[in-house]
Amino acid sequence: MLNQKSIASKLLVLALGFAIIEIADAATPDEKDTKPQSKQEKRQEKKLAKTSANPLAAKPLLTSKVLSAMIDAEISKKIKEEKVTPSAKSTDAEFQRRAYLDIIGRIPTSVETRAFLENTTPDKRVKLVDDLLADDEFGKHMADIWQALLLPRISDNRRVQTEPLTLWLEKHFNVNTGWDQITKELLTSTGPQDENGSITYFISNASVDKMTDSVSKLFLGVQLQCAQCHNHPFVDWKQNDYWGLAAFFMKVQAKPPGGKDTSSPTVTEGKGLNKNKKTLPEAAKFVPAKFLASGEATLNTAEPYRPVLANWLTSKTNPFFSKAMVNRVWAQYFGKGLVDPVDDMHDGNPATHPELLETLATQFSASNFDLKFLIRSICNSETYQRSSKPNASNKETDIALLARMPIKNMTPEQLFDSLATVLGAASKADQKLDKVKAGKNLPKGARAQFVTFFQPEEGTSALSYETGIPQILRLMNSPQMNSAVIIQRLVDKNADTKTSIEKVYLSVLNRMPTDEEASRMTNFLSQATDKNKGLGDMLWVLLNTSEFTLNH
Amino acid sequence: MNNEMMGGLHRRDFMKLGAMGVGGVSASGWMNVLAGHAAETQAKHKSCILLYMSGGPSHKDTFDLKPDSDGAGEFKPIATNVSGIQISEHFPKFAKWMHKSALLRGMSTGEGAHTRASYFLHTGYKEGQGGLTYPSLGAIASMETGNPLLPIPNFVTINGGRSYGSGYLGSKHQPLNIADASKGVANLGALVGDNQFNSRVSLLNEMEKAFLKDYSSEAGAAHQTTYQRAVTMMKSAQAKAFDISGEPANLRSEYGSGKFGEGCLLARRLVETGVRFVEVNLGGWDTHENNFERVKTLSAQVDAGMSTLISDLNQRGLLDSTLIVWMGDFGRTPKINQRGTKPGRDHYPKAWTSVMVGGGIKGGQVIGKTDKQGATVEERPINTIDFMSTACSVLGIDYTKQVQTPIGRPIRIVEKGANPIKELLA
Repeated sequence: MLNQKSIASKLLVLALGFAIIEIADAATPDEKDTKPQSKQEKRQEKKLAKTSANPLAAKPLLTSKVLSAMIDAEISKKIKEEKVTPSAKSTDAEFQRRAYLDIIGRIPTSVETRAFLENTTPDKRVKLVDDLLADDEFGKHMADIWQALLLPRISDNRRVQTEPLTLWLEKHFNVNTGWDQITKELLTSTGPQDENGSITYFISNASVDKMTDSVSKLFLGVQLQCAQCHNHPFVDWKQNDYWGLAAFFMKVQAKPPGGKDTSSPTVTEGKGLNKNKKTLPEAAKFVPAKFLASGEATLNTAEPYRPVLANWLTSKTNPFFSKAMVNRVWAQYFGKGLVDPVDDMHDGNPATHPELLETLATQFSASNFDLKFLIRSICNSETYQRSSKPNASNKETDIALLARMPIKNMTPEQLFDSLATVLGAASKADQKLDKVKAGKNLPKGARAQFVTFFQPEEGTSALSYETGIPQILRLMNSPQMNSAVIIQRLVDKNADTKTSIEKVYLSVLNRMPTDEEASRMTNFLSQATDKNKGLGDMLWVLLNTSEFTLNH
Repeated sequence: MNNEMMGGLHRRDFMKLGAMGVGGVSASGWMNVLAGHAAETQAKHKSCILLYMSGGPSHKDTFDLKPDSDGAGEFKPIATNVSGIQISEHFPKFAKWMHKSALLRGMSTGEGAHTRASYFLHTGYKEGQGGLTYPSLGAIASMETGNPLLPIPNFVTINGGRSYGSGYLGSKHQPLNIADASKGVANLGALVGDNQFNSRVSLLNEMEKAFLKDYSSEAGAAHQTTYQRAVTMMKSAQAKAFDISGEPANLRSEYGSGKFGEGCLLARRLVETGVRFVEVNLGGWDTHENNFERVKTLSAQVDAGMSTLISDLNQRGLLDSTLIVWMGDFGRTPKINQRGTKPGRDHYPKAWTSVMVGGGIKGGQVIGKTDKQGATVEERPINTIDFMSTACSVLGIDYTKQVQTPIGRPIRIVEKGANPIKELLA
């Protein structure tokens, strides 16, 4: 885990590279932003309160422990129905590696691994989840995930600086700002990018239709884009639903980067409709603003429209909002959403465990959209702590049954950060590179380049391995993966063979070698002309295994 | 090629002929023509080079000029070496190869957004249809006609762009992506000696076997397959095909010095080596603004790259066994838009043109016709599955075949209802 000093130095690096962001002074969840509401917003809230026959409203908040048990009850019920025997509980080593990758986005170091494996306190898993959620790397990992979702990788965005948003997200995830607040701020953001990183979202989705597509996918969990041009063929979305939602974005003015004006990219919401043709597709329809599957909105043309949408969207009575996020977080941890694909929630595509989805959504909203609460509940469940090793009974069963833990691919960021964890000092050089180049356009240092190179195509399932030959050639044959220096740094030169082998195993695979492996490796090393060369080969081999590359 | 390889090919061919021949039931006479055509060409498998124009080229400014229409544009038509067929003045070299080419002017494909259109045209299926990820034509060709013993992938894509992958066909048919043809495949050589590399790989195999025994998973199996493919490729003689640096300077300049020309040259080398499907991407055709300057520049690249590719393949006796397809996401609006000082044209999937060259097709013809404005297809409309089934037929792929997805769901290579262009098959 990071100590205070390393956190401080990390922040310094971040702060030096970009606009100064006072992460340390960021508001705690209790002091959430309390902006004065406009009359229009108040009116709308009243209206929502009245019309709430919604089952999501006003359910008592359970403890995280009870919620974990409810997850297990729902998952076990179906496993029993299918007469399947679930896999055994994960070993400590399996659990630790998985929790590190899922919560903070990298594998543990050999020191962290040893400490956890040797720890004999009974509640050490609960403690680990808490520690990881409290670590600043949690926010960084969440920001990696959400930055990729919020900023489409399209050529239009090649000049967009992504760091201001990444830092903004990182800060909010770390102080555990409610998901409703984060969403609200993203949706209503205004100002220049160097003062408000959240406007990057609008800059990168700089047309009414892109914004409508993105908001419906990310925050409502539905794909409306077909309804842009025609009524949706098999879901009940009409063109009016699409353009009714789009209507909220018609007054947004975004000044993207590039061009003669070198001032910071800016987003404003003016009084009149945005006349710039680029922001509207030719098929645009102008209909009254409408909340999805709900009534028309009352808008005051003198006031901004987006806060009205944001209030409806993030309200506890919104039938989509909580479910959409709960399903995404579930997919992040289990590789697949309860509804799959995560952004295609509709009656024709039901959840694998509908009651569980309902419970999670209700609880997430009752907790004021507390992400750490949701994640803690997932990670402390038996379901999450099951081994990914199949048994005779469950090896052929549908992975969505969760009778065993699905094996996920690492994201490019997870892979890079995990390699950096093993290869050590490499990451220092990268930080320096990032710092130097952050002010410029692409490329932004080794991590960003690595991520671009290893990025799977959009929409690739975390469960299917899409890494191609070029990426594998890099993993096998790049100088970084063949450096003789690394092994010298990793293994004490006076250590005996057994200790050296263990050190490499703990560093790369985060477990002790089995007896069989220990003797295989001893044999392998005995054939090497010199010890370091042999150990270097062994390190290379372990780094190229499925066991290292996959999150199992 | 060694004997074992040839033996493998013959057996595969024999099995395919058996499936199509005596015992087969044909729905119509047309099916017999196709089957017969496929049978003839089995002896020599065909390759395909897809020149994919990302963004969607304007048909009215390339291969379907309408000088008398509204929004005719700035370009003049020129004659080709086939009388009565005219194309844009910016394809003077290609005009000499019209006798080997067919212009498909009746393309009408329905999808007007880049990603969805490109997905549809690469796979023959709409994105998201039935909850599956469909294989790209390149992956289908790799599976159906690819030489399984070739140590380099049978599907290679050059210059990025979205070619789409192997979908439910799995990692074995994933394309090898080459970002820059002049640099070939990065990190292709091991940084340690052969003996050391081999001992690493054999230890890796042992580790993999043990892990997959305990943790069997789709991802783990694919990881292992892809590593094996990468190692095989590193060690193969065929991998030298990726190096274009030894090609004569005059030929390189004929292809054009840009990334597209280099991509076309690399495509020829790969096809020569036995790679079944190569896709070369040329982006920049999304000309909402400044259409004419941009199309002129892009046309020059296509004219040099594509025409030299045709003549180069022809000289090597490979043109009749290599189908070249030129196409983009869709066409562009017949009228010129009002954007800014240098206007352009917007997306238009309703009527556009694609081009096929070589591959033993009947050249020197235009198939399909648009109206005076270039706005509506009046004769022989070609939708996406018609197009896919045609390309498959030329390549000797039975497009009616059902392929099993990993969960055992049978999916046809091309959906029912396709109407392939029989006029193309010589």
